[in-house]
Amino acid sequence: MAERDIGGRPDYLTPVPGPGTAPGAEVLLAAVARGDEKAFGRLYDLVAPRVYGLVRRVLRDPAQAEEVAQEVLVEVWRTASRFDPARGSATSWVFTIAHRRAVDRVRAEQAAAERVVRAGVAAIGTPYDEVADEVTGRLERQQVRHCLEVLTEVQREAVTLAFYQGHSYPQVSELLRVPLPTVKSRMRDGLIRLRDCLSAGVAA
Amino acid sequence: MTPDVHALLGAYVLDAVDDIERAAFDRHLRECEVCRMETDELREVAARLADGAWSAPPPRLRENVLAEIAGTRQLAPSAPAPARRRSPGRLRLLAAAAVVVAAVGAGAAVWTIQDQRVRDARQLAALAGQREARVRSILSAPDVQVRAERLTSGGRVTVASSRLRDAGVIMLAADGAPGPGRVYQLWTIRAGTPASAGALGEGQSTAVQVVDGMPGASDVGVTVEPAPGSATPTTPLDAVVNLT
Repeated sequence: MAERDIGGRPDYLTPVPGPGTAPGAEVLLAAVARGDEKAFGRLYDLVAPRVYGLVRRVLRDPAQAEEVAQEVLVEVWRTASRFDPARGSATSWVFTIAHRRAVDRVRAEQAAAERVVRAGVAAIGTPYDEVADEVTGRLERQQVRHCLEVLTEVQREAVTLAFYQGHSYPQVSELLRVPLPTVKSRMRDGLIRLRDCLSAGVAA
Repeated sequence: MTPDVHALLGAYVLDAVDDIERAAFDRHLRECEVCRMETDELREVAARLADGAWSAPPPRLRENVLAEIAGTRQLAPSAPAPARRRSPGRLRLLAAAAVVVAAVGAGAAVWTIQDQRVRDARQLAALAGQREARVRSILSAPDVQVRAERLTSGGRVTVASSRLRDAGVIMLAADGAPGPGRVYQLWTIRAGTPASAGALGEGQSTAVQVVDGMPGASDVGVTVEPAPGSATPTTPLDAVVNLT
């Protein structure tokens, strides 16, 4: 669903951030699983800007982002055979790994920071409105941006604080000052609404 | 573990859960095919958010990655998961179990997932289509009454009952399966007499069971019984849902 078949576009072209930018990611990943390094190079070109961008967005630190992005991409190579096309698209599989790794790094850093400075909630980060503005302001993909706007404010904040900032739902609950169960349900409702909007193919 | 692990679905997809919750949810997913489907679907949605984070990596990243993979051994494909066995006459676990529970709790949102082009739905539909339609027809009945109680052992049992359909659905979402050799068993109680509405398999903690003639019953009970279930309850009720 995230991928649209763009038949006929040669996949050696530099990927442009536009909807359905990953023709052949499934095919490439299948070749990668068979140890095809050349296919991996092409898959790299297809996904690396989003992997790096996502990791950097979550971590904020370019040097760390580069390190984690490298771990992610090597992980893609290493575990390519575990990708199951029945469970989702190849790009989604890659970004799931990337997001998980980035968040794991954030949590490890936070744990370390909390050991050193007994940081309270205030240490979690920037005020959410600033974050939300920044995230929305920098979104390059029209459709995703449009669809985020369709969410209610709390849904949008819950989703973006978790996804782009790597906050856990208890942290999001603190930041937004809404109860835990509300945060949990807003995250899910937000994703469902996002899905409906994205699958409706609404252009901004 | 959180009482309703299923409520974590969104947070899980967004990696906003801690390691313990993640493990609990992974366990939940192994038992619930439709939850897996919804998770896969929402993960696909979350991945689209990466579109908004596009940023050109430093050129050396490519060289470094390609150099590293040249010396990195790849994992062999994993063996396919063994198919789950079902025994006839035993309460069949609808794959939709926890999703239905959530549908009752969280409104109709979940059903839209089923209605939409779910890629994996074909498999599941073949498996559970008829039963699912039945469950859906009961849950969507205009006179449906929904009642829920907590299990003493942790978790929740929800009963939806409709006179119009002359049927009901029992949805069990326990926090965990009972110990080895023991199973959850569902009962309908009519005029003080319990009748088995089915027993779960060992190791199972979620179930959706359609019961014909449910509105005639006064209560629905849950017990933990020696596997594979008992003719009459042999243990105190773990939960009782009054229907009157």
